[in-house]
Amino acid sequence: MPDKSYKQIVILSGKGGTGKTTLSAAFAGLIKKKVVIDCDVDAANLHLVLKPEIINSYDFSGGKKAIIDPDKCVECGTCETVCRFDAINNFTIDQLSCEGCGFCFRVCSSDAIKFDPSKSGSYFECELPDGSKFFYAKLFSGDGNSGKLVSEIKRKALENISSDIEWVIVDGPPGIGCPVNASVAVADYVVIVTEPTVSGIHDLKRLIELLKTFKIRSGIVINKYDLNETIATQIFNYAENEKTPIIGSIPFDPEFMKALINGENVLEVNKNIQEEILTILRQLELQVEISVN
Amino acid sequence: MKIAVTSTGGSMDALVSEQFGRCQYFLIVDPETMKFEAVSNLGEQMQNGAGPKAAELIINKGAEILLTGRVGDKAEEALKKSGIKIVDGYKGTIKVKDAVNSYLSK
Repeated sequence: MPDKSYKQIVILSGKGGTGKTTLSAAFAGLIKKKVVIDCDVDAANLHLVLKPEIINSYDFSGGKKAIIDPDKCVECGTCETVCRFDAINNFTIDQLSCEGCGFCFRVCSSDAIKFDPSKSGSYFECELPDGSKFFYAKLFSGDGNSGKLVSEIKRKALENISSDIEWVIVDGPPGIGCPVNASVAVADYVVIVTEPTVSGIHDLKRLIELLKTFKIRSGIVINKYDLNETIATQIFNYAENEKTPIIGSIPFDPEFMKALINGENVLEVNKNIQEEILTILRQLELQVEISVN
Repeated sequence: MKIAVTSTGGSMDALVSEQFGRCQYFLIVDPETMKFEAVSNLGEQMQNGAGPKAAELIINKGAEILLTGRVGDKAEEALKKSGIKIVDGYKGTIKVKDAVNSYLSK
């Protein structure tokens, strides 16, 4: 088995809304031999910018849910009394309220409750206009992103990966919870997008602490760095203490907002932005090379 | 002594899984005979908390050493408290048997 040919980078932020998807889309626009995965399933929106065509769709099951079979139900009401989520009324189970604990299934004496994996949504294998593969998911209302889904979609994306792929770009979820753990567990490098706000630096620190446990290397991009120079300086100092390189800083630019509003890739806005992102990408390539070897 | 290895398949020729909590299988290997037991990882099916569940599984199997790619925060705590030695940094490009041999030759 030869070494894998590609490098997998995950774009994370801790805080939401700092520019993960915007940067992911820009990287995707500049890199040719790539696979792109949107793991921010709760708010998947990379597809709005990348404009993929769906080739295959797969069902996703997050967990089990209970259903009462009315033909077998003797209407004893035991299930209703034990349900802590008040999901059972009139011998039917409200699927949105059911948390999948299985208590009703265990107490039912007439074997009338089925407790099977329920469909929580779908994920899609797509082709981008430039021929690259792209994966993203859509969940039903009330279902959330999970480490399980992130792992499943990543596994599908990597299982038949073509040997000429050089980069796997993963647009990660916000936060530092289970889906983030699952998205960094098999990655070569993490790009952290932060912004000079109180919550931006706070969540950056939390994320860096998490990444230490995974022993995975990361680099920071400060988006809108000129909005608050005091905090931007704090981020620089913090990064230096943590020996985490700043691989780029992007000034605030209203053109970014315009691109987002129009569902366009920021690369299309103007040449300056393209140059800035390209510089960050070169830095990133350098850092990834160092960390892999 | 038993060595647990995170694996993508149920045989010694399967590739190592770099993920701990959501690997597909654990191979519990007796390094003296190279006999092994393949255990499918129930933690993989958890919505959340896959790491601690997987840790519980290999603790119950009596493993003393774990070979894997990366271990998360909570799982690491559980494994350390149970005295399991974590040897991480294994890549998903090598076979389970080669991972075991490379560990034994150290």
